[in-house]
Amino acid sequence: MIYKNTRVLSVAAFSFLFAYLLSFLFEGQVLYSTIEAYGAQTHTYIFSAILAHLAGLFSCGYFIRTQRSAKLAMTGVMAACLVSSVPFFFAPSVLWLAGLIIAGFFGGWAVAAWGYFLKACTPKNERIKTCADVLIFSNLIMIAVNVVAMNVSHDVGLTLSMLCLIIGAVLTWLLPAGPVQEPQYESGGKSFTNIKKPMLVLFLFVAILTIDSGLMYQVINPAFGHLRGLVSWYWAVPYIAALAFMRNLPIRNRIQRSLFLYVGMGMIIAAFITFMLLGRGTSDYLVVNTLMLGACGIFDLFWWSILGEMLDYTSNPVRVFGAGLSANVLGVLLGDVLGAGITSVGFSEAEVAVIALTVVCITLVILPPLNRQLVLLLKNHAYLDAYDRMDKEQREEIICQIKLKASLTEREKEVLQLILAGKSNKEISEVLFITESTVKTHVRNIFSKYDVGSRAELISDILKNKSES
Amino acid sequence: MKPEVEAIRKERDVIAVISMAGIILTGLFIVLQIKEAAIVCIVVCALPLILLYRQGRLLSAAKLICDNPILTVPSSVITAENRAGERMTEETIVSTFGLLLGSKVYKWGCDGISGTRLQRVRLDRNHIWLTFGVDNEVLCIKLLHGITDKARVMEITQKLWRETGVQAEVSD
Repeated sequence: MIYKNTRVLSVAAFSFLFAYLLSFLFEGQVLYSTIEAYGAQTHTYIFSAILAHLAGLFSCGYFIRTQRSAKLAMTGVMAACLVSSVPFFFAPSVLWLAGLIIAGFFGGWAVAAWGYFLKACTPKNERIKTCADVLIFSNLIMIAVNVVAMNVSHDVGLTLSMLCLIIGAVLTWLLPAGPVQEPQYESGGKSFTNIKKPMLVLFLFVAILTIDSGLMYQVINPAFGHLRGLVSWYWAVPYIAALAFMRNLPIRNRIQRSLFLYVGMGMIIAAFITFMLLGRGTSDYLVVNTLMLGACGIFDLFWWSILGEMLDYTSNPVRVFGAGLSANVLGVLLGDVLGAGITSVGFSEAEVAVIALTVVCITLVILPPLNRQLVLLLKNHAYLDAYDRMDKEQREEIICQIKLKASLTEREKEVLQLILAGKSNKEISEVLFITESTVKTHVRNIFSKYDVGSRAELISDILKNKSES
Repeated sequence: MKPEVEAIRKERDVIAVISMAGIILTGLFIVLQIKEAAIVCIVVCALPLILLYRQGRLLSAAKLICDNPILTVPSSVITAENRAGERMTEETIVSTFGLLLGSKVYKWGCDGISGTRLQRVRLDRNHIWLTFGVDNEVLCIKLLHGITDKARVMEITQKLWRETGVQAEVSD
């Protein structure tokens, strides 16, 4: 019950904070509307805010090391963001740039510091839901603020954005300063120090994945700028729908989430192709935006949930969470720079789209091997450490206790023993003198009989069985 | 590589070339801004791409079967429930994960507990019967094994049990 209440509170606090960032600071419609209203130069302000945000996300983990300091820092920096947003009620001045840099930097701190609460207030297997919830709620709030900013007044939009920040700060103040519940089992010191490689791969993975989002901001969005009313509310709807779909997938399908990564890739390519083939009318916008933002929703929840899982392997969740999100911001920034570069050369819209599509295809080609590498690194991590620490009798005992959906063949038993010894498919194939594809098929059959979707889940089930017995 | 697998691979390669040509053509139409032709090309490309996916899966299944042989026989008879037997004269490979009958692939034990499974194996002096399928869709294949050595029959029985978990029924 305590877990549930604090989880809801942490989701609400972060959703309001994130809604402020999405609607204003981070290429938000409120910021765009305000800049446009005064006829100021967009790029300087947008890039400054993103760069400052990137620096804030990345640096936060080096200063905040406890949950208590995370809570204090979040509340404090939200107040700083609030003050820094005030100059936008007035005509452009140097205070705009200073405000964006300060709010961007401290906004990054506030977001990264929430890593503590994601780890402490949400049980391990529920983190994908928490990530989906914060993304859904923050985007819903952002839509409401956008509609007001674009259809009523940018000042009212800015006021609402700041109100979100105030609500976020109050809710953050109510969050617990200490641990909510002890983790069921920790992986020991070894796991806490060995996540540099998975983090680096995740960083690369997220950065490359989100280059396309930056491109979208610079290439696709301006082409539909004339559909102001529709864009103000429909923009994030497919994104929210994709998040809701992924959030409510049955457990078995969620495990095979990398399959959805490929669906997302197909949708992004289709979005750029339809952008080139279709016109610039309402129905064309609906098609292109649905494909593009739907894919973004799939991608975002994919890497957010991996990031959520990685928090268990670290004693400093702020650094991991901040680094993961800064990779996302870096990707958007790279995409923005690429997009701005392409559009500024003076190519025709079709040529711009072809160049953008080429960039998209290149990034998408890099993704599958990166994803594979990341999954392999995560699989071989903490679960196998815990199994390694058991003696032979304990291992055999807990394997026998697990209920199987169908009996294993002798060959499958041999493969299972080697899986539990931490061997990779390639190593198993070398030990048993069979091909790697044969090992993969045996492994798939074993997973099916144990009703699990991965090595990590298989060993996790075994460990759970041990703690229950 | 076995000639049967080679034949499947060649078919896959032909379909891959057709798919690639279709994709290049689509890209060309997009660059040239010929929208109607591009849309038609995308639709037409879908068929070879689906076929390519199917053929790719068939090829990997055939390779998997060839990598894990239990028994190779010169001819076989296929019987489905309520259907007359059909004689095949091509070489047949019985493996842990299915049968490769000429260029035809019958899989079992590849897709976990919900996939097709080998249900029963019977052996006599001349023949081996393999029954496999899911629920009501059961297929029985009768093979002329041509093995005269009893020790070899026991060896195959043992290997079948070890690899597939099915205990073969041996009769004289």
